[in-house]
Amino acid sequence: METLQKTGRKPITRAVPASAMGRIRPVETLQKLRRMPILLSVPAFAILLAVYAIPIVELFLASLDAPSFSLAHYREFFAEGANITVLFQTIEISAVATAICVIIGYPTAYLIVAASKRLRIVLIVLVFIPWLTNGLVRTYAWVVILGDRGLLNNLMLELGLISSPLHLVYNRMAVYIGMVHIMLPAMILPLLSVMLGIDKSLVAAARSMGARPFVAFWRVFLPLSLPGLRSGLLLTFIFCLGFYITPATLGGLNDAMLSTFIVSQVEAVGSVASVAVPSFVLLAVTIVVLSVLGLDLSGNQGREGQPAQTSFRPSWLLSFGPLIRYLSELAASHRAKRWTAERYKAGGNSRRSAKTVGGVWVALAIFFLLFPGFVVMIMSFSDKPYLEFPPSGLSLQWYRSFFNDPSWIGAFWTSVQLGIWVAVLSTIVGTLAAYGLSRTHPRVRRPLTMVILSPITFPSIVVGVSVYQGLFALGMIGTQSGIILAHTVGAIGSVFIIVSATLANFDRRLEQAAQSMRAGPLRTFMRVTLPLIRPGVIGGAVFAFLHSFDELVITSLISVFSIRTLPLKMWEDIRNQIDPTIAAVGSMLTVLPVLWLIVLYVGWWRSRLTAQSGVSVPTT
Amino acid sequence: MSFRINRRRFMQTTSAAIAVGTLPSVAGGALAQSSGELRVLVGGGDWGKANIEAYVKPFEAETGVKVTTTTDEMGIAQLELMTKSRNVTVDVFSMSQASAFITAGKGLVEPIDYSIYKKDELDGIIDFAKQPFGVTALIYSVLMVYNTEKFPANKPRPTTWADFWDVEKFPGVRALQSGVNGGGASGPWEEALLADGVAPDALYPIDIDRVFASLDKIRPHVRKWWESGSAIQQIMHDKTADLVSSFDARAKLLIDQGDPLEINRNQAKLTWDYWMIPKGSPNARNAQKFIEFATRAERQAAFAKLFPTGPSNLNAFKLIPDELARKLASHPDYLKNSIPVNGKWYTEVGPDGKTNSERLLQRWNKWILQKS
Repeated sequence: METLQKTGRKPITRAVPASAMGRIRPVETLQKLRRMPILLSVPAFAILLAVYAIPIVELFLASLDAPSFSLAHYREFFAEGANITVLFQTIEISAVATAICVIIGYPTAYLIVAASKRLRIVLIVLVFIPWLTNGLVRTYAWVVILGDRGLLNNLMLELGLISSPLHLVYNRMAVYIGMVHIMLPAMILPLLSVMLGIDKSLVAAARSMGARPFVAFWRVFLPLSLPGLRSGLLLTFIFCLGFYITPATLGGLNDAMLSTFIVSQVEAVGSVASVAVPSFVLLAVTIVVLSVLGLDLSGNQGREGQPAQTSFRPSWLLSFGPLIRYLSELAASHRAKRWTAERYKAGGNSRRSAKTVGGVWVALAIFFLLFPGFVVMIMSFSDKPYLEFPPSGLSLQWYRSFFNDPSWIGAFWTSVQLGIWVAVLSTIVGTLAAYGLSRTHPRVRRPLTMVILSPITFPSIVVGVSVYQGLFALGMIGTQSGIILAHTVGAIGSVFIIVSATLANFDRRLEQAAQSMRAGPLRTFMRVTLPLIRPGVIGGAVFAFLHSFDELVITSLISVFSIRTLPLKMWEDIRNQIDPTIAAVGSMLTVLPVLWLIVLYVGWWRSRLTAQSGVSVPTT
Repeated sequence: MSFRINRRRFMQTTSAAIAVGTLPSVAGGALAQSSGELRVLVGGGDWGKANIEAYVKPFEAETGVKVTTTTDEMGIAQLELMTKSRNVTVDVFSMSQASAFITAGKGLVEPIDYSIYKKDELDGIIDFAKQPFGVTALIYSVLMVYNTEKFPANKPRPTTWADFWDVEKFPGVRALQSGVNGGGASGPWEEALLADGVAPDALYPIDIDRVFASLDKIRPHVRKWWESGSAIQQIMHDKTADLVSSFDARAKLLIDQGDPLEINRNQAKLTWDYWMIPKGSPNARNAQKFIEFATRAERQAAFAKLFPTGPSNLNAFKLIPDELARKLASHPDYLKNSIPVNGKWYTEVGPDGKTNSERLLQRWNKWILQKS
């Protein structure tokens, strides 16, 4: 102890490298970290810098014709009318898809949080199941559902509702359906992680003061959930900007997005340098969006700042404010009584109908999320070598073809391993960065946030080429650890967004309280901060795992044919034939985690039962 | 005795190879050839399996070279990164002709050593298949396919691209290939010109204005501009469109499964893949041998039986039963009425520094965003 204290007083002259953190005198490090929380983001930036940032900067300089510097390439890009049209179209499609995600996602997340604990777990699992089915397969499932001779049209023809098939696919609507289906969980996840952290007693307090349910929601719950909404918006919008397979498969001729142009340009020219300009334009769009939404992901952190709701309350509400207040005062005494009465009542008529509406809403949202996966699952039992719904005959041959092919099994395990490593690494590093940056001055935080988010903003092909060059310099091309680092670069961004959102509602005074009780920084973090932000951390980890589990473009560049992941194998398969093996793989990916969760749940339930039987006194 | 000498000489060579190999030099590759290895990208699915059965396994048996296969395809960006970083992890791959011309133009592949080919084999190989940078692996086509329920045998059936464009005479829903992969020399360009009355031998150089004027006419009748073989296969199977352009293999697959489809071979667009060797491949000599092996008539006939695509060595047709031969794009009867895609034209650079591919793509991007 004495030696530790002695060394603790020594001034530190150099930054602590990430890997050495554990080895160097811990107290000293922790104290330094307390003074300069930004150092917590060092591991994240070390990875970003080494693996990806330097080549990207080189690419950026090249796009500016360094060292002579000119905007010629950018002028050329914007001189082409089609580029501008498609840029606005990309923003429009992304914005609309994001808006639909909010409209469906926010109430869904709200209702899930409001559900009983057991139901909540089930609902959360149901929301995330579709993610486990490969995006490509799900997109094809929509073609099967919406197609001219698809499920929906056939059904309506059969029922005599229509006389000729409706054009439900190959148009903008179908693109939105496909994109929302893929992105909705990304909207719900950050919302959930924030909403779960909101203290319900605040809403109850508002109600006790006479606020009607809607007002209590509008003035208390909504402002508190805004960080989650913002990061959901951000995550969804940024990912939407980069879509191209969904619009290509479900869209019509003119439903192109900037990524469509970028990918075909790479094909035509065969060089990535040629797409540097549109890539940086896409990044610029993200920067604009970020500054509109507020670059500060953890903007209103701490409760001491100005109340967040003032800036977000629409003006119509303000103008009605006096009237509402007057009416409220009239009704106050009555309502106060009713509130106490309601609290102990089993539930009134209006509450029951509200519950029904809520239940139907969640059921519809979950149906929308799960139905394509269900279709995929049914199609996987087809006895025909193509995707067909309903299948004309049943067989298990596509499952057999999976299990009899060691390359499928091998690819599956490779992807699981990579996913776990990526989840662990990026969750640790991303959480530290989010935590560190949330305690840093906004002027520093904003540009650094941009850097962390850039890998998920850029088209993956550009990230892929940069990562290739970064990993090549490190001698890690074609190695498992190289792929882990490459996936981590992208996954950090997602973890960062989600954890930052959770930190925004985090009351720092709790930490101060712990420290006033002489808890060290590490102890405070482990015992106070971490438990409080756990939903966000777990959400981030899930996102990171799935990011790795689904990543295709970057992996195909850096694996240099020596490591086969599941998405690579699936892509190889789907490019050559759309037989139901791919549907079988998708179904198993969906069912296995659910089975695993059920086993886990049953185990937990059992252990709780035995624990309870030991406690003799009931808790009333 | 001789064994010992050989062994010593072997040791000397290998240690020299190791010494050279440690130097950061490409010369290391040439000496490492004695390892008797080869890494081949065979492609996925049934295509990959057929490559392994028809080429890789017999090649191993004949030469004793140990071949490692990967069921994947090469992209230009991948190849460029690989060769420029001198981290060549593949010795043989195949690529569509348009991409092949681009990579060859960038100097990313080794020249083919035609001195190791037997004369009668070389003579059997179609001319366009023998390029300095690669030899054609297989030939396929993009052609017209129609639904036989919509166009039964007792009624007039479309036979030319002009018929395809004639929506009065042949009413029905259309699907055409998208031009989004203009760089892959795959787009509805030749079809549009043929429909507009351009003679098959006067297609190149392609008149881009004329292409898009012709596409304007068919645009309202096209339900889907497809981008991948999987997509058009699903469209044909689901009967989303009655009259489509498709890869021949996708249509054949569905016909074999009993779908009511008919292939029209007239004015089929022929295209093909090239076997190539990445620049700096450490096993280049084995790679040369492999490509020579894989373009022999007998091997290509064996391949066609496993995966019905056209051989580039026409002698192979002597070994293929007629029933199967009639399903292959490079059958001599079909060759007469087919139009070979000129991949070279697509990579030619104009005065503005842009390739024809880029020009087509730029125009396509503009065209799709017009309000129809």
